Amino acid sequence: MKSPREIIESYSGRPLRIMEVCGTHTHEIFRCGIRKILPPQIELISGPGCPVCVTPPGYIDSAIELALEHKALICTFGDLIRVPGSRMSLAGARSQGAAVKAVYTPLDAVEIAKENPDKEVVFLAVGFETTVPSACLAVKHAESEGIKNFSLLTSNKTMPDAYRALGNCADAFLYPGHVHTIIGSSICLELLKGGISGVVAGFQADELLTALAVIAHHADNSSEAFFENCYKRIARDEGNPAAMRLINEVMTSCDAEWRGLGVIPGSGLKLNATYAAFDARLKFNVPECSGTPHAGCRCGEILKGLLKPEDCPLFGKVCTPVNPVGACMVSHEGSCSAYYQYGR
Amino acid sequence: MEEKFVTLAHGAGGQQTNELIDRVFKAHFANPEFTGDDAAVLAPWSGKTAFSTDGFIVSPWEFPGGNIGKLSICGTVNDLACMGAVPKYLTCAFVIEEGFPLDKLEEIAAAMEKTAAEAGVRIVAGDTKVAGKGQVDNIFITTTGIGEIMPGVRTSGTAAQVGDAVIVTGDVGRHGCTILLARDEFGIEADVTSDCAPLNKTVEELFSVTKDIHVIRDATRGGVGTVLYEIAGQSNVGIRIDSQAVPVADGVRGVCGMLGLEPLYLACEGRLVIFAPKEHADAIVAKLRTLPYSGNAAVIGEVIADPVGKVVLTTEIGAQTMLPPPGGELLPRIC
Repeated sequence: MKSPREIIESYSGRPLRIMEVCGTHTHEIFRCGIRKILPPQIELISGPGCPVCVTPPGYIDSAIELALEHKALICTFGDLIRVPGSRMSLAGARSQGAAVKAVYTPLDAVEIAKENPDKEVVFLAVGFETTVPSACLAVKHAESEGIKNFSLLTSNKTMPDAYRALGNCADAFLYPGHVHTIIGSSICLELLKGGISGVVAGFQADELLTALAVIAHHADNSSEAFFENCYKRIARDEGNPAAMRLINEVMTSCDAEWRGLGVIPGSGLKLNATYAAFDARLKFNVPECSGTPHAGCRCGEILKGLLKPEDCPLFGKVCTPVNPVGACMVSHEGSCSAYYQYGR
Repeated sequence: MEEKFVTLAHGAGGQQTNELIDRVFKAHFANPEFTGDDAAVLAPWSGKTAFSTDGFIVSPWEFPGGNIGKLSICGTVNDLACMGAVPKYLTCAFVIEEGFPLDKLEEIAAAMEKTAAEAGVRIVAGDTKVAGKGQVDNIFITTTGIGEIMPGVRTSGTAAQVGDAVIVTGDVGRHGCTILLARDEFGIEADVTSDCAPLNKTVEELFSVTKDIHVIRDATRGGVGTVLYEIAGQSNVGIRIDSQAVPVADGVRGVCGMLGLEPLYLACEGRLVIFAPKEHADAIVAKLRTLPYSGNAAVIGEVIADPVGKVVLTTEIGAQTMLPPPGGELLPRIC
């Protein structure tokens, strides 16, 4: 019997464009060198799966306004601190006196709010279904503790509508195992009916090789669309009903702007009416900032797999991990950063 | 002395300065060359001299496995040792924040005394300044040291040669991981202590195996990965590392997995990276494993001709990939 690696290396069927839509997948694929063993017919495209990479500049502008104008203490996942807004990043704002603190979970931000009752604490809620439940939990925790100086600036996004929007960019998706641990696999079956193929994959090197081998095997044997869950030990078909209930209890869907991709209707989440008191936009009357990315930045086309990072005129010259222009260069899970760091 | 805290008067050069020096520094650093004059007077030696300086601003100033005092001795001792020197004398300059507890200053001085004794170096001169509240983060220390190069030894960052084995003297990333956890910013607990240690005796033992060692560098801020890139650049060679051969403690691996950090880029304060001809590698590792700070020393790779200036990793699936070059990551201050 052939090993997954042998199946991949010996693939000689039709050309395959496989899109990984998760920053952790992107990083792990580069880190363990999977791209180096792919035959020429298989191409991996790094899609818009890194939450930092798809955060639009207007959102960063809003966060900076909260920090500098409203003197709010901003709590955030660390990667977001260096993402460029229209004029500066949160790191830049910090050098102008903004209070910006990296936290590991939204619950830490609630604790900070509790310890600083005289300060408004705003957590920057970005991320997909994987991080949304913890933001919801933080809001519920703050509510039950009567903590009123805590709020979320939401820019959460959900994957299903992004899959639909990107369905024609690739021959198959490498679905992120952690997202489907929460949302289950019914969406994948729905996409399958629409002719969109994909495989749910875990995050270890051997799990990624297995998932890619399964895609290669299907493509070799049939031209039909396919779906397999290769991460069954964690991602159950029904997902995590408790987490989904929590999301549905606290959040409601909205349109969302994806950096580089534009607005995808219904692909965002915001706090619902019951928890509106924790919505920083309402609390501080923050207008929607449209924001403008750097004119030369090609992040959007890179996220859709239309261009490779090295096709961007800024890549590696103006835009580097030390001095990122586009969001894909900021997070170490971003596709430009991975290309830059690991070479390609 | 009644005070319990360092005050600006302790740094003013008058009686209280003298009391501080007597109580803390003379008490702990006493040796024949530490006279309290404007400069120490030392006799020359016959060999070449290595001379180095290093500043320490670690936050928090104490951490599992050591404190800033121990770190300040190890840092300069190890820099001298890496050049093949036997460290002899150190000077130290303190910048202390007003209000720093005197008993904690004594703890730091005691750690310096103990570490200097272990390394066999004498602290022969020093300086104390007190900065106003908020002007420094508790305490900063700068140490400067000189040592005598051992006969027949020549190590340099430019001397790595194709075919050399790359050896680390122990598991990587412990100090950086310890400091990250000690800051308690992530709510993660793990059983990790700093590897902070004086390594001059280790180096002396190394040269008892062979004098034919090309490069020794201590991996500090930036970790082993940064050292590998430095040497690849300085020596105009490539380096290939077997990722599976790099020793990493379970706790460090777990924390790195959770926070998305590469252990090769976490700081060490008691680890050497050694480049020596392959034929000596087994004997070097065998010797290292008998010594106190290098029980899990290992060969982690080799020097190759191409690609010049780059570090290539053989990953767990057997593919070759680049070790991402250092820089660009948002890492907190760790040493």
